[in-house]
Amino acid sequence: MGAHLVRRYVTETDTEPDPSKKFEFDPHFGFAERKEREMVASQEQMNLAQVPLEQRDYCAHYLLKLMKCKRDNWPNFLACKHEKHDWDYCEHQDYVMRMKEYERERRLQLRKKRIEARAEAA
Amino acid sequence: MAGVGFRRWVEALSKGKRSGISALLSGCRSASGMTKDSLPGPYPKTPEERAAAAKKYNLRVEDYEPYPDNGEGFGDYPKLPDTSQQERTPWYQWDHPDLRRNWGEPMHWDFDMYTRNRVDTTPSPVSWSSMCKQLFGFIGFMLFMFYIGEKFPAYQAIGPKQYPYNNLYVEKGGDPEKQPEEVKHYEI
Repeated sequence: MGAHLVRRYVTETDTEPDPSKKFEFDPHFGFAERKEREMVASQEQMNLAQVPLEQRDYCAHYLLKLMKCKRDNWPNFLACKHEKHDWDYCEHQDYVMRMKEYERERRLQLRKKRIEARAEAA
Repeated sequence: MAGVGFRRWVEALSKGKRSGISALLSGCRSASGMTKDSLPGPYPKTPEERAAAAKKYNLRVEDYEPYPDNGEGFGDYPKLPDTSQQERTPWYQWDHPDLRRNWGEPMHWDFDMYTRNRVDTTPSPVSWSSMCKQLFGFIGFMLFMFYIGEKFPAYQAIGPKQYPYNNLYVEKGGDPEKQPEEVKHYEI
């Protein structure tokens, strides 16, 4: 909890990544093959459902299903727990992926610094 | 009934020395404005006049101090300390407990302003300077902390949120005619 903030502002100010800036390493670096993230819901579907912009992420198709279920089962607000869970799980996976991206960037920064230090010493 | 009542009223009016209309008028006149008795007297100049005025207002001569005579119409009215009734003790048996006032006590010129549900001159338990210090100290501390939070934002250790369709280029107001910069996101 907060260790990344200590690294960012106190101990490792030069290598800790800043998520508000673009990550500098090539996404394919270190991977043989990388699968691109797949978007299921189309732009038109999301427009018709009037999904808020911040929810038009890679889990929007689960959100559309949840919204449809909510609408069809109104006023039974307990009816859509499976749809809700599916959407929550997708968002969780999305969050974990972002955590991994952050950690990848951090380690690559450390690696870059290490290599530079070694080159300087040699 | 009404006719009988009216005749009695006329008879009662005409019994007096003056005629009905003027009796009515004088009655009206006495109900408006202040009588000579309720107005303050002229400003006291000699010690004897001061003593008489102090006696009139139920004050000792030492306590009597009229308003300065600069033509504002206070006359000989005593200048009493500007303290509210709320400041007076509630534990004493006042003649009029609600006003916290004894019978025959001289009244402040602005007594209506200093009654208990209006101006209160009771000194606050904390001094003005320490109140200022506490308030502005707190505001200053909060401003400082907001400045710190702005300089060193707290965030979670995650990458930026990934959105499809070139990070929602069109949805976020991009020009649909132009070809946006292609953004690809990968699973990890």
